[in-house]
Amino acid sequence: MAAVYKSLSKSSSSQKAEAPANGVRKNKQRVLILSSRGVTFRHRHLLNDLAAMLPHGRKDAKFDSKSKLYQLNELAELYNCNNVMFFEARKGQDLYIWLSKVPNGPTVKMHLQNLHTMDELNFTGNCLKGSRPVLSFDSAFEQQPHLRVIKELFLHTFGVPQGARKSKPFVDHVMGFTFADGKIWVRNYQINEVEAGKGAADEEAAAAAAASKGRGGKETDISLIEIGPRFVLTPIIIQEGSFGGPILYENKEFVSPNQVRADLRRKSASRHNARAEQQVERLARHGDLGLRTSGGKKAAADALDARELFA
Amino acid sequence: MVNKGRLKMALAAEKGVDFQKLHQKKVAKQAQKKKVQKPAANGGAEDEDNLDEDEDEGGAPVSDDDDNSEDEEEESDIEMAGAMHDESSSDSEVEMEKKIERKPKSSLKATKAAAPKPAQDDEDEDEDEEEDEEDIPMSDLEDLDDDEKEDLIPHTRLTINNTTALLASLNRIAIPTDKSVPFATHQVIISDEPTAEGIEDIQDDLKRELAFYKQSLEAAKKARTLLKSEGVPFSRPNDYFAEMVKDDGHMERVKAKLVEEASAKKASSEARKLRDLKKFGKQVQVAKLQERQKAKRDTLDQIKSLKRSTRHRPPDFAVDYANPLTERQESSGDVGTNEADLFDVGVEKELKKHGGQKAFGRGGREGGVNAKRQKRNEKFGYGGKKKNAKSGDATSSGDMSGFSARRMKTGAKGKPAKTSRLGKSRRQAGGNKY
Repeated sequence: MAAVYKSLSKSSSSQKAEAPANGVRKNKQRVLILSSRGVTFRHRHLLNDLAAMLPHGRKDAKFDSKSKLYQLNELAELYNCNNVMFFEARKGQDLYIWLSKVPNGPTVKMHLQNLHTMDELNFTGNCLKGSRPVLSFDSAFEQQPHLRVIKELFLHTFGVPQGARKSKPFVDHVMGFTFADGKIWVRNYQINEVEAGKGAADEEAAAAAAASKGRGGKETDISLIEIGPRFVLTPIIIQEGSFGGPILYENKEFVSPNQVRADLRRKSASRHNARAEQQVERLARHGDLGLRTSGGKKAAADALDARELFA
Repeated sequence: MVNKGRLKMALAAEKGVDFQKLHQKKVAKQAQKKKVQKPAANGGAEDEDNLDEDEDEGGAPVSDDDDNSEDEEEESDIEMAGAMHDESSSDSEVEMEKKIERKPKSSLKATKAAAPKPAQDDEDEDEDEEEDEEDIPMSDLEDLDDDEKEDLIPHTRLTINNTTALLASLNRIAIPTDKSVPFATHQVIISDEPTAEGIEDIQDDLKRELAFYKQSLEAAKKARTLLKSEGVPFSRPNDYFAEMVKDDGHMERVKAKLVEEASAKKASSEARKLRDLKKFGKQVQVAKLQERQKAKRDTLDQIKSLKRSTRHRPPDFAVDYANPLTERQESSGDVGTNEADLFDVGVEKELKKHGGQKAFGRGGREGGVNAKRQKRNEKFGYGGKKKNAKSGDATSSGDMSGFSARRMKTGAKGKPAKTSRLGKSRRQAGGNKY
């Protein structure tokens, strides 16, 4: 009996596997969300905020290693995830985000700046936990290949697939990704529908309403209320494999925060250095003139010196 | 069972990766060979010609795509085989894995199905190649002599932008988002214009956020129309309650914050108003006091001058004001004084009336003016300074009403008949000179 069932189920499942290839394929994504050790509380809160918005995400404990990131592949497979969002904290202050497609890449590494979690922002917007977002991309994402890859990864990671397990059936928020100033700015808004007011915009709305009347929807105006979190991403590299493989793209404009900090320190140190140098120079000059009690050059004894004359 | 399946999968995955690399090399070689052979063995078919041209223009990408597609197919076949074995374990993850491996194949198909896309890709690559020409990678300069190499200034960071490989990996993972699939499957909206164009200064928070907002708003509007046209529920009904991203406690905090902000704003604006009032209020108060004082002085002056004028008035004047027109007609010479008198008389009448009322009020007795009280007031002094009341001042000494030139010329002789002078008390009681 069991064998019959098995054979039947096998045949049916193999058919199922065949079917989507011909027709509409189901978009299945699962994201493993985890961070490295050494994240600050803000990084952790951001992770939680993002995880709350991704019903197809699987949050895991902190990952212990920063050098053996390829282990994440095995971890993701263990959790049945085909995407990884990994927060890597460095020096307890810098945050790097890795987005990867698990079995065979690509991977993008980005530097995260200007982080504001939902908690800090006090925005009034709110949305259903696990509702599917509308992903709004800047058209700049279509223009360069590396941005297209990044866009695709965003789509896989942040876009909640249709029919995901805990997703809600309504669409009530927009995630905006904008490419400006060499960085990707991420915003999250609630879609607020209000009754269309009587005004100039009313005519358009009326026209649209006439069009949609057949579906019996009553026409409303849309406004957005920001929910949070806010952050800015600077792409650094794109790798071909998942946490490995050759580098396909490297951002030349990216300056490491270490570099920035070092420059700042150097700048502030330069004043002290200049003073110290000056002091050494002054001592040397005094020594040359024979003005120092110890060290330096002694002034040559003058034949007409009183001490010489009346010795 | 599960472990076994995982292990197998891991093995297969590893194999797949290795295989892929090997295969890529092999196929690349084949492609090169083909390239060499093709010009010679040109069948003359137009399609092939086009292909050649593509390869010449776009360089590697097209051939690379082909490689990948073959590659993927084979790879996925292998994976399929592995998966089929594992089917017995009937694990959900296996299904998942298979999906992943299948993805690239069908996505490739989708991109192939969409005609305009490859052309666009080619264009993009062309642009990128142009950009790349600005920086010359070191690998391209290996042919140079050592002497020449010394003159080079190497950049510390090379521009790595392998567009062909990027596009290949993009095609491998891409989910179709074009019009061939329903919008609800991906919910991606790409704006018409780059948002960065709308931002003049990236540091200007307000304008930047506005640009972001506009982009998202536009997307939301488009998405709504698309979803509604597909019959997908969009807006949440009011009676649908579910867990929200921000819990009630958080929203409570947000609300409290808002209230606090609003009240702080109100308080500060009120404080400012008060401050301003204080500043101006002083001036206003001073001005008002001055005005009041001036008004008082004016009325007092008027009363004074009025009293004086009534004092010097001829006795028959009392009759005159009853019939002012006759007076004016008779003495048209000094209309001005008469008019002033006329006016003043009215005022005096009013004043008298008020005074009477005042007295009446104070006395509390009926019967008009309390004559006795008035007398006593005058006699013993009531209100104000009595000292120097009778001494002359500038107006009294300037007052020439009692002076007559005729009498002066006639001297004592011409003195009018002496009127019998009343006693002092009676004179004072009369109040008048007469």
